[in-house]
Amino acid sequence: MSASLSISRLSFTYQSWGIRPNDPLFANLDLRVEEGERVLILAPFDKGKTTLAKIICGVCPKYFPGTLEGKIALFGKDLSELQSWQLLTECGYVSQNPAEQFIATTVEGEIAFPLESLGLSREEMKTRIDRCLARWGLTELRGANEEELSGGERKRVLLAIQEAIGPKLWLLDEPFDDLDPRWRTQLRQTLIEKGKTVVVFASRYLAEFADLFDRTLLLDERRIIEMEREALLARFAHVGGDDLPNPMKTQQLSLASSHQLQARNVVVERQRHRGTAHQPFVLDVENFTLNSGEVVTLTGPNGSGKSSFSRLLCGLDEAKGGAVFLDDKEMSERQLNRNIGYLFQNPDFQIFLPTVEEELSWSLRRRREIKSSEVTRRVKEAAELFDLVLEDTPSTMSYPKRKALQAAVYYLLDRPFYILDELDSALTYHAALTIIARLRERGAGILLITHDHVFAKHVEGRAYTIEAGRLVQR
Amino acid sequence: MNISTYISGRGWLYRLDPRAKILLMLLLCVFFFLPISLAGLLITVALIVVVGWHNTGKRNVWAVFRSILPMLIFMVIFSPFSGRGGTPLVQIRSFTLLTKEGALQTLRLAGRFIGITYVCTLLFATTVMGEVILALRFWRLPYKAALVITLSFTYIPFIAESFDRISESHRLRQAGPDERKNYIQRLKDLMPTLTSVLVVALRSIPNLAMSLEMRGLGRDEKRTSYHSLDSYTRLFTDLLISIIMVTLLWLIFKA
Repeated sequence: MSASLSISRLSFTYQSWGIRPNDPLFANLDLRVEEGERVLILAPFDKGKTTLAKIICGVCPKYFPGTLEGKIALFGKDLSELQSWQLLTECGYVSQNPAEQFIATTVEGEIAFPLESLGLSREEMKTRIDRCLARWGLTELRGANEEELSGGERKRVLLAIQEAIGPKLWLLDEPFDDLDPRWRTQLRQTLIEKGKTVVVFASRYLAEFADLFDRTLLLDERRIIEMEREALLARFAHVGGDDLPNPMKTQQLSLASSHQLQARNVVVERQRHRGTAHQPFVLDVENFTLNSGEVVTLTGPNGSGKSSFSRLLCGLDEAKGGAVFLDDKEMSERQLNRNIGYLFQNPDFQIFLPTVEEELSWSLRRRREIKSSEVTRRVKEAAELFDLVLEDTPSTMSYPKRKALQAAVYYLLDRPFYILDELDSALTYHAALTIIARLRERGAGILLITHDHVFAKHVEGRAYTIEAGRLVQR
Repeated sequence: MNISTYISGRGWLYRLDPRAKILLMLLLCVFFFLPISLAGLLITVALIVVVGWHNTGKRNVWAVFRSILPMLIFMVIFSPFSGRGGTPLVQIRSFTLLTKEGALQTLRLAGRFIGITYVCTLLFATTVMGEVILALRFWRLPYKAALVITLSFTYIPFIAESFDRISESHRLRQAGPDERKNYIQRLKDLMPTLTSVLVVALRSIPNLAMSLEMRGLGRDEKRTSYHSLDSYTRLFTDLLISIIMVTLLWLIFKA
């Protein structure tokens, strides 16, 4: 068997923009993936799985500066002698964050762009595009632009592009995240049917897909570790903290007061395609309740309106019918803004100041009734609780740290209710459960949006789902 | 990176040949700088806004206006100071704060700015990126230059979109129900929002470059095009209409 991918003695360190140099991300990392093999590389956060994927694609350190040493060969060719555009049919990459890969103005145009680069005829492109759109349930969205798509739909677009190009090596970074069960199954089928070499990077082990992979590896201590599966999974759970007890199990809540959030006869409407050509998407919510101290999960297919409903609950969007009540009192959008904390999936939209300390104190300092010394005390306490360093710069912190900072900001706001949009996406279970426990400890009610049924099971509580445009309690 | 600008629709602007649309855009941009009456300029801008409303919907028209609003406010606040000669309108003792000429000049500047913004955004809102590139290539622009122009223009809505999302997140981080903000506080709040937008925009640059290369931009093969302009069969008529429209505006509104 010949190797699709061969990495030997790879070392990489990101360029430091501060006084202190960065620690190396990889040191003497070796990896060999045989042709047609499907490999799962488990990697807890900060271990560099996305960086490794980008190095293999030839875009790091080119666009993400750092010092790279070692040898990488793709299908026998030395990567250092190739340009990333030459790898189009060799190696295809699906990012953990689909939004960063969109370049065209429509879904159809997005799939067409790489096919145009390959110089294919219009007929061939049309055949491939139609087939891939149909396979990934995107035919009706062919004219939609990225902004109109849900997280799962974006991921499906990237997978459709991958299928349309048909590269020999598929590099997939957290590919099952954002996908609902139907599309997870479809992805699994695709990986089996295509018979390509596949490398999947994941920060969580999905037992349901265990048989999909020929080998499971671990990225830890700056290198790839291969060992017997059970031992490897135990080590992975330990590194990610998933072998620790569920922090919510032993949690004592301090319920100072009890509240209830309720949405009655609400109609959530979202313009699917801007302009006049398409009908808006509608979700009916007859009755939704969330009580203090409760953790309620919300699941549903991609694009079914989970995020749209969340936006309405926290007053960012207006309901077309019905209303949202807090303790039986109808709430205006402004009042909802101030009572419901909504942690966006992407923390970068919610943190913006130069230091952690400024970030945490921003809201508190605007409240005249809180003394400066009290602000300092609360900020320090929150930083300790969420394991943050006050002097750190948020924009250069790792993803889980930014996520923790985002949660700490809301913790200090002390809202009676929180909506956590796919909190578990790209976090270990333990890290995600710890954040939930922290936010809940003062009795806040939590609505947790997730696609991961295993994660949802860690949270014992009521569950809502969306079926055929209706929100129903399971 | 989100660079979505196209809005699906069926209005007449969608049916206008993209090659003619580009010519119309250029001619209108030139028209705004010709010696025309202020009323004529403002009427033309209003007409363009109405056309945009009819073709792409009021939401888009409002979104475009909102995205340029901060710039317009700066323009309206500061540019009258640069023209203090003429008939005084506002005076503090002997110091002239605003003159009639300064106000009119500001109005003209704002009109041009709004007009050019709408003309450019309407081109990209009613034409898919692939067709814009083909149309630019028809006007003898190399592929990469056409792509750069398209991406540059579509970067504006990306920034506007980021601004909206970040503003929303800031709204959710307001301290409490008792908090009231005056105008100075609101203006101060703009700074972290703009900083965040800048950070998001800067971060998107390597991602965009990475994505373009990963999608094969730069390969040796001759690039083909999925989109075609074959469905536009009235190129000559559309070009003629574009020229006639701008000529008529010039004849009616010339100073």
